[in-house]
Amino acid sequence: MKASLQRTYLISRVTFLEAVRQRFFAFLIVLGAAMVLSSLSFRFLDFGHGELKFIADFGFGGMFLFGSVLGIVMTAQLFFSEMDNRTALTLLAKPLSRTEFLLGKFFGAWAVLAVFLFTLSLLLGSVMWAREQTLLMQAEQRGLPPVNGLFSGGGMMTYALLQWLRMGVVIAIVLTISSIARTFLFAVIVGALAVVAGQLQWIAQDVLLKPTESLTYKAFLWTSSRLLPNLQQFNIGDALVLEPASVPADAIPWVVASGVFYMAAYLVLAAFIFRRREI
Amino acid sequence: MTSAISVRNLTKDFRIGIRGLKLRAVDDLTLEIPRGQVYGLLGPNGCGKSTTLKIILGLVPATAGEITILGQPSATASARERTGFLPEAPYFHKFLSGRELVRYCAQLSGVSAEKVGQAVEEALALAAMTEAANRPIGTYSKGMLQRIGFAQAIVHDPELVILDEPTAGVDPVGSAAIGRMIHAMRDKGKTVVLCSHLLGQVEQVCDRVAIMDRGKLVLEGKVEDVLARRDRHVMTIEALTPAARDAAETALAAHGAKVTSVTHPRRSLEDLFRELVTGSHDA
Repeated sequence: MKASLQRTYLISRVTFLEAVRQRFFAFLIVLGAAMVLSSLSFRFLDFGHGELKFIADFGFGGMFLFGSVLGIVMTAQLFFSEMDNRTALTLLAKPLSRTEFLLGKFFGAWAVLAVFLFTLSLLLGSVMWAREQTLLMQAEQRGLPPVNGLFSGGGMMTYALLQWLRMGVVIAIVLTISSIARTFLFAVIVGALAVVAGQLQWIAQDVLLKPTESLTYKAFLWTSSRLLPNLQQFNIGDALVLEPASVPADAIPWVVASGVFYMAAYLVLAAFIFRRREI
Repeated sequence: MTSAISVRNLTKDFRIGIRGLKLRAVDDLTLEIPRGQVYGLLGPNGCGKSTTLKIILGLVPATAGEITILGQPSATASARERTGFLPEAPYFHKFLSGRELVRYCAQLSGVSAEKVGQAVEEALALAAMTEAANRPIGTYSKGMLQRIGFAQAIVHDPELVILDEPTAGVDPVGSAAIGRMIHAMRDKGKTVVLCSHLLGQVEQVCDRVAIMDRGKLVLEGKVEDVLARRDRHVMTIEALTPAARDAAETALAAHGAKVTSVTHPRRSLEDLFRELVTGSHDA
């Protein structure tokens, strides 16, 4: 067991090092940071919502968009670079199981997303805190009654962890697709479609809630709405960051349990498929 | 003692195209590779050599047949612990240095933390890569890539080393260096399986050879047995004058023997090249 964990760690370490050296990673993290910072310039477009909420939504949008692109493209690229360059031949000829190899790829890619998400969360948190201090100072100067700060640093950290979990689910889905796919492009396109479907999955659940007599129809909807995770359930960011008290106590444990379940299920499926793949 | 590799009735079919047409890459192959020898697996491109090696290593599943490595079923982690593999045209992560790669492979192969440093240095020394070990792999020449590939294959002191086209694209000096490494492995009692279509080199380094064609085994045996022509003899004579030659031919004819050709012995172009460029560095 210890040896197996060490082999998985070694693969994930090299996968992480390979990924963070890529220009694609640097490009997306700079783009994500630019989007977070630009939220200050675009805050006049807040459509009547609170300014901090606008900044939070803008930043969360950037993190989700670029994080998803990174999670899909980088995971497929890290997998197919091993296959196409045939480094997988060298590695899998060693006493390394295919499951360890796949888990190593997963944890390496997930670690890269951790760096991406926590860097941007730190930046977004700093921007929001600084803006909140400015707004509070302005309120004080206008003689408005003192109010407590709205921004929650702990909420931001919880949000970052939930997004990281969401990206773990995305990476696991892309690895499952990659273990079947023959080309990088196919894995990226199908992976992107799966993420979009996951974002819209709540629609299927809504449909399921509508009364129907057909058991077959019900069963179909029930199955199809559970094959993909509901990625929308991770979108409790602004509530966590700006109104942490409004988040029900059981919401976060439920989201975490669901995310861990889907991540594990997709990894088991990926390992099962990859075992029979010809290298 | 069991064979290093035992292959029985191995068949491999690939499905190609949408209609799933069957392409037979290996056809009922049976091989016994003895321990402690250098074994050459020869054949033209596409004859099934590399597929056979991949099946032996568990990288590709067999359609039918039975394979054991050092007495254990192949494709198991425990069998691979005692096996080293250098793939054809090896490619490694370019950002790692040679030493980092060999260390990474040693750790993956289960070399203990106390022994890994020494194992890495020994493997690098055997592959003559100590001097270049701290350079990134992206800066290596083709010959150096093969040598660092050799080092990663032997770093865990395997009993069996499988080399797929170890000298493909390597100049004769680098090729000779790899030949010396193979001999060094044999001297340590290891079994080396060499897959190549460079017949000259195989003849020099192998104890036994098997020749495959279209997925089938067409010849197997000791190198000297399969190459020897028992009905012909070669004598090398110094200072042979025409008179001496006539006398020798007459004497031989008296015993029913006949001289069929008299030529000057030739050295190979490879020997000449190596002699002329000895000391050149593959860097």
